[in-house]
Amino acid sequence: MKIGIPRALYFYVYYPMWYGFFSSLGHEIKLSVPTNKEIINLGVANSVDDICISVKVFHGHVKYLLDRKDVDFVFVPRIVSEDKYKYTCPKLSALPDLMVSAFNNDSKRILTANFYTRQGEGHIFKAFKEIGEQLGDSDEKIKKAVKEAIKYQKMATKCLRAGHTFLEIVKNIRDLDGLASIPVEKKRYTVALAGFPYDVYDSFANGDIIVKLQDSGVGIVTTDMLDPKVYNHYKKYMIKDLFWYQANAAAKGGLYYIDSSDIDGVISISSFNCGISSIYQKLLDLYSKEIGKPVMHIIVDEQTGDAGLVTRIEAFIDLIRVKRGDGLVTQEDNVHGTEDGVHVRGV
Amino acid sequence: MSHRKITYTVPRMGYTYAAFESFFKILGYDVIIPEPTNTETLKAGVSNSPEYMCFPFKILLGQFERVLENNPDRYFKIISLESYGPCRFGYYSPLYYKILKDKGFTNFEIVNVEGIYPPIYKGIPRFIVKLIKLTGWHAPWTSIKAFVIAGWKVYATEQLEQKLFYMIPREKVSGSTEKIFNRAIESIRNAPNKVKSIKKILNDELKNMENNSHVDRDDLPKIGLVGEAYILMDYSNNLDIEKKLAYMGVDVDRSLRVTNWTLDRILRPKSHKAHMLEVNKGYLNFFIGGDGQESIMNTILYKKAGYDGVIQAQPFGCLPETAAKEILSRVSADYDIPVLSLAFDEQTGEAGFVTRLEAFVDLIKSRRQKENDKDKKVHISTSVN
Repeated sequence: MKIGIPRALYFYVYYPMWYGFFSSLGHEIKLSVPTNKEIINLGVANSVDDICISVKVFHGHVKYLLDRKDVDFVFVPRIVSEDKYKYTCPKLSALPDLMVSAFNNDSKRILTANFYTRQGEGHIFKAFKEIGEQLGDSDEKIKKAVKEAIKYQKMATKCLRAGHTFLEIVKNIRDLDGLASIPVEKKRYTVALAGFPYDVYDSFANGDIIVKLQDSGVGIVTTDMLDPKVYNHYKKYMIKDLFWYQANAAAKGGLYYIDSSDIDGVISISSFNCGISSIYQKLLDLYSKEIGKPVMHIIVDEQTGDAGLVTRIEAFIDLIRVKRGDGLVTQEDNVHGTEDGVHVRGV
Repeated sequence: MSHRKITYTVPRMGYTYAAFESFFKILGYDVIIPEPTNTETLKAGVSNSPEYMCFPFKILLGQFERVLENNPDRYFKIISLESYGPCRFGYYSPLYYKILKDKGFTNFEIVNVEGIYPPIYKGIPRFIVKLIKLTGWHAPWTSIKAFVIAGWKVYATEQLEQKLFYMIPREKVSGSTEKIFNRAIESIRNAPNKVKSIKKILNDELKNMENNSHVDRDDLPKIGLVGEAYILMDYSNNLDIEKKLAYMGVDVDRSLRVTNWTLDRILRPKSHKAHMLEVNKGYLNFFIGGDGQESIMNTILYKKAGYDGVIQAQPFGCLPETAAKEILSRVSADYDIPVLSLAFDEQTGEAGFVTRLEAFVDLIKSRRQKENDKDKKVHISTSVN
């Protein structure tokens, strides 16, 4: 069978697991195209007006896959929990219900199950079994596939810890071991991106910020590259843990990067009307005031213009350079990425 | 009492502030109730909160800030009722603390009264410690008395409110019931701390309101209100939506009240949840926190009870309510009931708001008219055939 996986939201966290599962069962995976203007328009047309952009984009991807007649099922899992007492945002835990409401005519083609990933492999197995049964696979094959799925996810985590972004993992999904062994090139400046993986990695929705930074000679790290063990002590600063796993990772990871000496600045990325990110952005603000490390918030929406974003990133890089004592960008440095005409730097 | 040197302040919600006030007064503390939401509290709250934080957070932050600002010589305990759940409500008090400290206030501490959340072996002791922190050491009968009196006052104000909104569309002289109501609320607030006297005042005032000259009619259009609890229950935040609808000649009912909220969420959560899952089947059968599931359930229940329309009131960007809003559009189509979603934030203007309400009421009236005509038409068409 052909399973459509929308390239949005938890795709940027659990894709290796899903890939391992479906491919080991012998199903063909159809990814939706990376977010583009058309997908955003589809999403905006099919969702309520005051929901966050990430969820709107997800609507677009699901609609795109449902419109393709060669896709049998669209995979919309409900990720309930990701760690002990850490859950997901209400909109995400209602996601299958939202999809059924938005695309009522195609609701039979939406494939869903509840994932309680915190409760260990037993619960992951239970969820996958539900899915496998809907696809008509035997128990034995499912068992094997789940093992494969968990193996893939573990390998992906290894790659992340080694400093590779999730986009590289998606590109090299067939050879994750190879990717893990490639060392990451160190650059003079390093900027940390704090935020939900689906905001950080969705290159259209966030104006391709990763590429823009890399073109300007800045290395990037993200909060999902960190092992939770290194930042758990920031609970004391936050007084109380946040309820949402990814928000905790973004907040504590951001705090950790503000403290760490080899990071020059922190950029937090969130989508318009994302309620949860407003909480950790305030925490990062207050903490950076204490420590004195530059923090910039970028909030993207469906109308964000590229030019404004470029200006802000340039200003941020200038700020970092000045802080390091390198001075502003000179004309000679101004050669990065001029071929495509987008990343032209003016002085 | 001055020897304790602690003043309490609580979030103001609708008319129920009287109950909180008497609760702390019986325990022997000073209480200062924040002023109702106005431009000044909003300005203070909005300028210091994160931009996309929920509207109730901004309102409350503004109210507390004004209280601290106006009474620099007192030491405050700010009561924040919260939970640990999918809704952002669970993280209010750490942010209050950090923001108010950042603004330079030092004369306060925040007591967050949370429910019991897992792990239970840690949750129960934590809850008890919080309760003691909230009220201090008291003889058990004083605390119980304070609870009972506060409960009765909440009940009384809600009874009066319900009566008010029943009477307004029926009264002969517009505005006459409201005058009696305002007086009644004051006398409940100042009632002596005895259940008997509160009961007596309540009964007298209810009779007073009922005796106001009015026309009995039961053919008024009926609108139910669902949505986020705080926006729904506080008249100063929802721009008095209930009163406005009542003056437009609508029988209005609010789905969430302090009394039924406490009953459903704290005293019998299990049966409430089971009921909710049964009603919501096929729409949303998963816990999403806040009042999202309740909004969907109450919309369906309102339809079953014969209501003509439902208004969903939510703060802008409320996490559970936006999720519910999308599902409500399907409920609305399946059950054939008009649903109007109104998002409130600091920029909600009165004029535009009233226009939308009027348009909605017109829609409901014309739907009623059509239905009546249809009944007549059926007769005509059968006779022609």
